[in-house]
Amino acid sequence: MTKLCTLLLISGLISGLMACTSVAPWERGVLAQPQMALDPNPLQSGLRAHNYPSREAGASTNASGGGGGCGCF
Amino acid sequence: MSPRLIPPACSITPNSITQSSINTGEGPPPGHTTLHTLTSAALLLPSLLLSSTPTHAQYARSSSDSVSFQYSRFEEGKRNLVNAPNNLDPIRVDVLHGSGSFTLTDRLKFSFGYTQDTWSGATPVTTAPLVTNGNRLILENAPGGGVTTVGASPFINTSILLDRNLNPLRSDTATGQQVIDNRSVEILSTASPETRNQADFSLGYEWNEAIVNIGGGFSLEPDFKSSYGNLNGQLDFNQKLTTLKWGVGFTHSDIAAILDHDILPYLTRSVFDSQIERRGGSEILHGTKKDWTFNLGLTQVLNKGALVDANFGFTHSRGFMENPYKAMTVIFIDPETVSPDPNAPLSGVVRALSEQRPDFRNQVAFNSKYVQHISPFNAALHLNYKFSYDDWGVLANSFEADWVQPLGKGWTLTPRIRYYSQSAADFYQPFLFSDQAFSRISVDPAGRQIWVDTNNPNTEFFRDRNANFFDAQGNTVDQALLNIQPKFTSFDQEKLPGNFSSDHRLSSYGTLSGGITINKKFARGFELEGGFEYYTRASVLKLGGRGNSSFADFDFYVWNAALKIYPDKLNFSSSTGQQHDTSHNQSFQHDGHSFHGGHTAAPAGVMYAHMLDKPGDIMVGYRFMYSRQAGDMLHGDRSASDAEIVNQSCSAAIPCRFTPTDMNMKMHMLDIMYAPTSWLNLMVMPQFMDMDMNIRELDGRPPRISGVHEHTGIQGHATGGVGDTIISSLFKLYEAPNHHLHMGLGLSAPTGRVNLDFRRVFQIDGGRVHFDMQLGSGTWDFLPNLTYKGDYKRWSWGAQLSGIKRMERSNTSGYRLGDRFQATTWGGYHLANWLSASVRGIYTAQGAIKGDFNSFNRRVGPMDFSGNSGGQFWDIGLGVNVIVPRGKFAGNSFGFEWLQPLHDDVNGFQLERKGALSATWSYHF
Repeated sequence: MTKLCTLLLISGLISGLMACTSVAPWERGVLAQPQMALDPNPLQSGLRAHNYPSREAGASTNASGGGGGCGCF
Repeated sequence: MSPRLIPPACSITPNSITQSSINTGEGPPPGHTTLHTLTSAALLLPSLLLSSTPTHAQYARSSSDSVSFQYSRFEEGKRNLVNAPNNLDPIRVDVLHGSGSFTLTDRLKFSFGYTQDTWSGATPVTTAPLVTNGNRLILENAPGGGVTTVGASPFINTSILLDRNLNPLRSDTATGQQVIDNRSVEILSTASPETRNQADFSLGYEWNEAIVNIGGGFSLEPDFKSSYGNLNGQLDFNQKLTTLKWGVGFTHSDIAAILDHDILPYLTRSVFDSQIERRGGSEILHGTKKDWTFNLGLTQVLNKGALVDANFGFTHSRGFMENPYKAMTVIFIDPETVSPDPNAPLSGVVRALSEQRPDFRNQVAFNSKYVQHISPFNAALHLNYKFSYDDWGVLANSFEADWVQPLGKGWTLTPRIRYYSQSAADFYQPFLFSDQAFSRISVDPAGRQIWVDTNNPNTEFFRDRNANFFDAQGNTVDQALLNIQPKFTSFDQEKLPGNFSSDHRLSSYGTLSGGITINKKFARGFELEGGFEYYTRASVLKLGGRGNSSFADFDFYVWNAALKIYPDKLNFSSSTGQQHDTSHNQSFQHDGHSFHGGHTAAPAGVMYAHMLDKPGDIMVGYRFMYSRQAGDMLHGDRSASDAEIVNQSCSAAIPCRFTPTDMNMKMHMLDIMYAPTSWLNLMVMPQFMDMDMNIRELDGRPPRISGVHEHTGIQGHATGGVGDTIISSLFKLYEAPNHHLHMGLGLSAPTGRVNLDFRRVFQIDGGRVHFDMQLGSGTWDFLPNLTYKGDYKRWSWGAQLSGIKRMERSNTSGYRLGDRFQATTWGGYHLANWLSASVRGIYTAQGAIKGDFNSFNRRVGPMDFSGNSGGQFWDIGLGVNVIVPRGKFAGNSFGFEWLQPLHDDVNGFQLERKGALSATWSYHF
């Protein structure tokens, strides 16, 4: 229940932010910089997405699924 | 970035926007006036306004066309075996990854990826009380007399003493007293190298405010095959400040785990009996698993310099989720053996049972990220938090922080730190106790001991006072005609928990890791990237308290290097880019109209055949080679019989027992070439190898020795990893309109391993893997070559002499490969200005291996004897070359060549060659 509340709170927060955000297209220069990319180093995160799950039991939010193999080691 | 976002008439792309933004952040570059900056900005605005406004997510994805190659190495530290020296090589994984992403049309995008990893090393099979001595010491006679301990090997079936509170007891060496020893230890077992291949693809379609991708792929290992598909997309709204993301995926996996002679003696696997197939002395455990994944996410721009991203994921898995190689140590205490004396210790029988996990799992995960631009440094801070929970009881939290710092001149430095903590799965236990006998003599309800005939185990017998056997009907039987043995009853599975695992990854612990990534972008549209990360796992790092598995603490490091190429960045951006574009077009035209340029591409199998003309030119290429041997064993130039192989191909003292049936070799090579001057080219060529071999038992081989394990070859064997690295130079000797001659001088650095071992089986060392399956030569080699190429109208021709001279007496494993000489000549014809075909003849003389392994090798067949190597070989090659003349992919060239063996004259006994394929791709800057 606590988790659900947290989730709702965060969703509410985001909706609130959406409503009051206004960044004009010509103000988006900084957002377009490579360091501001959501995943600035996709090759590195790809590698980590392979290494961490082979050593940890935590779940992922990535729905692309598959791959990674057995990780039987 | 999709071209549709920017009107083609305006040669500004988001890449140039990015460039411009960075420049603005750092102040105008030298030579730029304020007016220039303003003009650029003015030019920029209409393009942004006219086009559909790019969303952040679109910027964020690396949406320009790209090709990347990456190599990474994962290596664990040695685990602590407490009372046994750990001389086992720790887990090591070599990964090669290649990927490409291309816009096929304005709105349609295709990407693919290929990953190959090879792993080997020691891995925990179970956890046990230290007093079980599960890591059994391996003793060897010391050279100077006496015995030394050289390592440890798993040995679990034993018995231990416990006190009445189930504390394991150890006999104190000083006093002889039984003292409590509660320490646990992981029991390690080694694995022979194993290779996994994964290929995936994705096709995406973009609308102005939405994207849909469909993707799929497969991953293949000898014991684990999975295929998967997924559908995902995103929708932009709120003036593209908000992006909604969604995805669904499905994975199907087939498990066929080979439980070989090393694991069978100690593993109690009765619970999986119905899933086990018995074949050739090994057992294969079959299972299937299905995973469904769903996710939903939102990216929201908060202001000019900040955004937030939140994702929710759900995974449902069903099927075989055990790790088939992991066992649970169970200590059976038979109540009937418990002494009435309360001070007497308990006796526990220790056995390893296949782990049993639930056959379904639901996982939820929530992941959030906050990205903030830090104006004073023009850097970005990425903060990430992830929470996940599943119905196995694993609750995990992770926190990550990355600081992405552009340093100017294309350099970016990204330090990062991560903390992760998880609770244990409900069914995790380091080991279990069970209040019953593992196995006991069966008695009937009347208390009579039951006996059975081993040939007919369903018929029960009893024994009278005179030791005569009689059956259930009371008829006396003649025991001389039967093989009567006592009947045993195994433990009752119902008395054990429904699920149990001692896999340390399901225990409670925390991890801390940190690393750094360095990127350097070059103006020509390529980028180098390197990364390093160190990771430490510790039970005490668990969030909010101690974990329960300090005996499983370990650490690892990962480093990687990558090359990324952005072909379409050549066509625009800065003024230097324009220059490169021009030079690129010129050089391409030179290639494209090469009916009269002296630069017709040589057949794909010919190395060192191409030279760059212009100072400053760069070429990046990828070469794949596959060769196969199968069929007959040759002796000289004729087929050999099994009797000949047994008696002649090994040694007089050790006749051959096995022979190869087939061997495949694959090589991936990256080819990076640079022209500092018009007459000199420099090349670096790292290689990545993998090989596999199957063997069979020879007819008429010497009989097996009872009790000594032999390779059955049922699963074959494989090796893989980094091969040798070639560093070479090419010198132009003669250049005329239709003739070209150049010489190459190169070195091969011994970066490939030559000490790969088979795993230990039955407490016996596996020894070195065959000569041909080691990954390199192990020596520094000299590689000279001389190439002539000519052409006239649509015709082209050429010839090359090349050699390999080993420059050291032997490698670290005690031998050296033979020298090699090769001569080849070819003719080609241009069918069109983009397509040519070639025919080639090749002669190769390869010397035999000198010396021998300086450590144990099992010498099971001809492939383990150095005399069975080298020879003279004649081949014919048929090839095609394609050069993309214009359009988006102009500048790319592809080559394919099949080499068909014509004649072999081998030294000793060797497997017949079936052919070889070469495929090349190169891109000229």
